[in-house]
Amino acid sequence: MISIKNLKKSYKGINAVDIDSLEIHAGEIIGLVGNNGAGKTTFFRLLLDLIRSNEGEILSKGNSVTLTEEWKSYTAAYIDEGFLIDYLTPEEYFYFVGKLNLLSKADVDDFLQGYQLFFDDAILNKGKYIRDFSKGNQFKIGIIAALLTDPELLILDEPFANLDPTTQLRLVDMIKKMARDKSMCIIVSSHDINHVSEVSSRILLMEKGKIIKDIAGGEAAYGEMVEYFKVR
Amino acid sequence: MTLPVFLSHQWLSFWRGRNANKSLALQIIVGVFYFLIFLEIAALGVALPFLLKETMPGKDPVAIFTSYIIYYFLVGLLVRFQLQELPSLSIQPYLAQNIRRKNMLRFLNVRSLVHVINFLPLFVFIPFTLAVVAPAKGGIAAGCFIIAMFALVINNHFLNMYIKRKSFNSSWWFFSIILIIAIFKGFDYFKIISFEKASANIFTALLNHPWLCILPVALAITTFLLNNSYLRNHLYIEELVSESKLKVSKNYAFLNRYGDMGEIIALDLKLIFRNKRPRSLVILSAVILLYGFIFYPTYLKTQNFSALFFFALLIIGIFISNYGQFLFAWQSSHFDGMMSYNINMKQYIKAKFLLFVTVCTLQFLIASFYGLMSWRVLPIQLAAFLYSIGINSFATIYATTFNYKYLDLRKSASLNFQGIGAVQWFQTFLILLAPWLVFFLLNKFIGFWVAIISISALGVIGLAFNEMIINWLVRQFNIRKHKILEGFRER
Repeated sequence: MISIKNLKKSYKGINAVDIDSLEIHAGEIIGLVGNNGAGKTTFFRLLLDLIRSNEGEILSKGNSVTLTEEWKSYTAAYIDEGFLIDYLTPEEYFYFVGKLNLLSKADVDDFLQGYQLFFDDAILNKGKYIRDFSKGNQFKIGIIAALLTDPELLILDEPFANLDPTTQLRLVDMIKKMARDKSMCIIVSSHDINHVSEVSSRILLMEKGKIIKDIAGGEAAYGEMVEYFKVR
Repeated sequence: MTLPVFLSHQWLSFWRGRNANKSLALQIIVGVFYFLIFLEIAALGVALPFLLKETMPGKDPVAIFTSYIIYYFLVGLLVRFQLQELPSLSIQPYLAQNIRRKNMLRFLNVRSLVHVINFLPLFVFIPFTLAVVAPAKGGIAAGCFIIAMFALVINNHFLNMYIKRKSFNSSWWFFSIILIIAIFKGFDYFKIISFEKASANIFTALLNHPWLCILPVALAITTFLLNNSYLRNHLYIEELVSESKLKVSKNYAFLNRYGDMGEIIALDLKLIFRNKRPRSLVILSAVILLYGFIFYPTYLKTQNFSALFFFALLIIGIFISNYGQFLFAWQSSHFDGMMSYNINMKQYIKAKFLLFVTVCTLQFLIASFYGLMSWRVLPIQLAAFLYSIGINSFATIYATTFNYKYLDLRKSASLNFQGIGAVQWFQTFLILLAPWLVFFLLNKFIGFWVAIISISALGVIGLAFNEMIINWLVRQFNIRKHKILEGFRER
């Protein structure tokens, strides 16, 4: 799915991202962990061609993300409020994103029907623009809009940080189910090593832009991460 | 005691604001701009008595001046609606601190008073009073006159604050005041009831009986108290900020057939109607449509067609240059998203071009009514229209790929220099002046029709090659895409 060679991005001489080589495959759930400033968000922005790398390139299904636009049709992401069009109502926003991916209004309505529980009756038909929602609810809107397009590659930056406990647990289940049923490739970053080790099939630990650990998810990974973060 | 601290915080927030220290050159330009306005208004105050004497000889300048005061305050109220914003949000960080409500109220009131619009009128009233009223009516009358005028300014100020706070529908108020002015003026014009005379009578009485100035002072105190008591009872942020109405989802059915491009245009339309700053730019474009009434007759009379062309360009092309200068910056708060959604860049740029063409055509059609003044207006406006959509639209899109500044949509547009850099000033001048210069030279040295046809031809050529130009614009955009994104992320 994603293939990276020799990717470098630095700000004022300090490496924000410095990855020699990385292959990410369809069906994998990647958990990206690391302390603040490790380069997680920068890495995501590079994946979406929102910043230009100093060296190297990212190939998505074999095509450079900088030189082609093909990847946009099967990639969805939610990084921060910068992805939300805040003067639209949530419905308008969903229809907009849906339309760009050839989904009719009815398709979108059907899809949203399935996420009633996730929305907890706080999002739809509230008569508010997105900018008037709380941060947690904005996050829900962003995540659902990303899922709406049924992407092959899904990128979520710290999805657990802004959600309430119930929604966090629902999201964990959703991510697992999607990767299993649709063999989606999902990349999630988080500070919550508990959730990450539970949800991920593979964990990448970043430090100062480098990937210093590339391990399988699960109980053992949790222990290994606790060891790493404790010492620091 | 706490008041000076509040005010010093405001001072710091002004100078440390995101855009305050960005470009010294811009600061200086804006400073000079303000200074010139002040100077002009003060000069108006000094020159007014002479102007009145000259334009209406044989009449008492005081009588003329006082007859317009009523209109001055009505128009002033209109201007305030546009320019003045409630300083409510600035107290948000203090609400949870150990500060008495009384102090907070005092801060809100004093803070709101600090606004150019409260000081500007004094620059007219004081020189005028000193030059005309004082010699005629004596020192005490003059002093009381100034007090009365200042009291009325304060009254206007708190009235505006009160109306805005009560979250009355401010556009409804705006238009009803326009209507009142129109009705007053109409009555005056057809000599049914003379409001000018009434105004003159009231203020002449004030000059003859200076003690009457306690009436406006009492009025000012009343509105102040009204405002104050309202504030005291509503010192919660959600009540200070005007209440929000239920928002409805909209679908522009007529745009559906254009697919993704239609979606992007619909997004732009929603952006315009739902955010303060772009909305006021559109209102400005509509107001500028009326410029023809002011400028066309003179230039038609003097046969100065190149000047007329300049204003035609302004009237028809104002939306393109006004909205276009921030074409991408309007979406700066969600540009990360725009670049990650499944949008083809060519479609994106093309949608922007189509938006320009649509609005410009609308402006052109409305402006065609000026053809009733003289048939000459029509070919001139047609040339301006073709040039605007064929050349200016592309030039504007090109220029805006150099705009890397974040823009806050919710701030008012009037006197707002956020997101404006040297490029924008240059661009605005170039886009209006370059075609004007071409027209001027051709018209002067060769002939009217050659000028019309050449300008139109340029526009038609631009339109004919639109595919090529748009492809080129996409390449230009892609070169600077990451720089634009980076700039927009810096808030």
